[in-house]
Amino acid sequence: MSRRKFILNFSILFIFTFFMYGPLLNTIMLAFATQYQAPHIIPSAFGFTWWKNVFSQGDLLQAFFNSFLIAILATIVSMIICLPAAYAIARYEFKGRSWFLFSFLLSNAFPKIGLYTAIGIIFYKLQLMGTLTGVVLINVLNTMIFMIWIPIGAFQNVYKQQEEAARDVGAGPIRTFFKITFPSALPAIIVAAMYTFLGALDESQGTLLVGFPQIKTMATSMYGIILDQSPMVGAIFAILLIVPAILILWICYKFLGKKSILQQLFVK
Amino acid sequence: MNESRGLRKAIIPYIYVTPAFLLILLLIAYPIVTSIQLSFQDSTTSHFTIANYQYFLTNKIQLFNIGYTLFVSIATVLLSLILGFILALYIRFNQNKISKAVVALTVLPQFIPGLVAVYSFMMVVRNGGVLSRIALKFGIQYNPNMLYAAKGLISMNLWFNIPFATLLLLASLSSIKDASIESARDIGAKKMTLLKDIILPSTYKQIFIAGAFVFMSNVGAFTTPFLMGANNPQMLGVVLYREFNENMNYNQAAALSVILFLLCSLSAVVYIIVNMRKEKWR
Repeated sequence: MSRRKFILNFSILFIFTFFMYGPLLNTIMLAFATQYQAPHIIPSAFGFTWWKNVFSQGDLLQAFFNSFLIAILATIVSMIICLPAAYAIARYEFKGRSWFLFSFLLSNAFPKIGLYTAIGIIFYKLQLMGTLTGVVLINVLNTMIFMIWIPIGAFQNVYKQQEEAARDVGAGPIRTFFKITFPSALPAIIVAAMYTFLGALDESQGTLLVGFPQIKTMATSMYGIILDQSPMVGAIFAILLIVPAILILWICYKFLGKKSILQQLFVK
Repeated sequence: MNESRGLRKAIIPYIYVTPAFLLILLLIAYPIVTSIQLSFQDSTTSHFTIANYQYFLTNKIQLFNIGYTLFVSIATVLLSLILGFILALYIRFNQNKISKAVVALTVLPQFIPGLVAVYSFMMVVRNGGVLSRIALKFGIQYNPNMLYAAKGLISMNLWFNIPFATLLLLASLSSIKDASIESARDIGAKKMTLLKDIILPSTYKQIFIAGAFVFMSNVGAFTTPFLMGANNPQMLGVVLYREFNENMNYNQAAALSVILFLLCSLSAVVYIIVNMRKEKWR
């Protein structure tokens, strides 16, 4: 590499990294600060005082708990509702198949906030406003695309011959499904579940609109924290939200490699 | 006997898709139909009226909000496409360790929760934030004035959309063969000619598709403008939230959702037109 080229390469990397990662690194640093007064760029004292502060605020702890509860429930409900549909679309030829698939991906074709308000009006009628059921339903809808799209590909890749062989030696359809089809598709289903879980953990707009103020999650608490708490509290919540994302990204990477992660990105 | 078995088999896929389909009916079809209905009703008498739409399309403040939303979204689309395209070109035609590092760095931000990104960005660009403090180290009094202004919103949107645009465009740039670039160079094509005659024709579809996606996600944006935007003018997503949550005027909220749906469908139209055109450029 010539010198000019090296400088060009390096400055692109630097500007890009500074713009994309500078803010995040700053946040991670702030989470462990105790004193952060102007004009200091780097906090003048570090410690865990603010962590103690966060964990002594009851409603913030409740939000932490709610987030995980909603994410787990949404993932389970999503699997129950979506996996059969994904299986049918992957494995059966039937009239209206592509229309059903189209309808399942429809929720991503609308501006989210518009759709949530429309749903909110219905939820008032059904008295689902401010309930756990309502929030879980919103999250299932929001993450449906993962639980339909990724498993369809997985079910299509299971060898038909293997299933037929199992049927030939006398296994029933249910046993064949659980002994052959499901295990082969399992890695992809796990990835889909992780994306669903993560999506529900990060979801803020729908939960704010449908669940607030009865149901607070970490993500919806962020709105209030950003507007009226100390910067350090926001930074700690940011870390609590990032860590599961990084963990899940890492696990997916281990499971499926880099390429499949890139492909899933475009599903979003 | 055999016939009923065949019938049972034919029904099975429909049984499997029913739960998911019911959810779509309950959470998409029913709300949207109800919204359209409500948007044409008077809030007290429930009689048919177009006043809810008239309000948004004639009221000066609301017209300004619509214009502001379009301005921020279109600026975001153009800037993220231009910067994303440059970054993708750089990655495609400079295969070295640094460009590979840039690719890896584009992937991660997609997994960062939106609120965390907005919060982190605000800490840097607010007056008295990191940028101001760095400037002060060099003895300069500097306030970015990014919060509550369009430039702040657009910069935040770029943070979200540049990686997306880059990855999408990179995918289509990768499909251009090195051989065709080299042979064009051999017969003396200049860089601009290469761009105009080889690279753009084979990527323009992806450029439009990326633009359509970026436009759609920004027209209906809520979190960023809610936290970083001004009170006047407001992005439509925030207006809608306030209409629904604070004014509790469901008829007007419904009309505004319909307007938002229509604005978003602009990008669906672009998407469909681009996909229908069959390689006319080549």
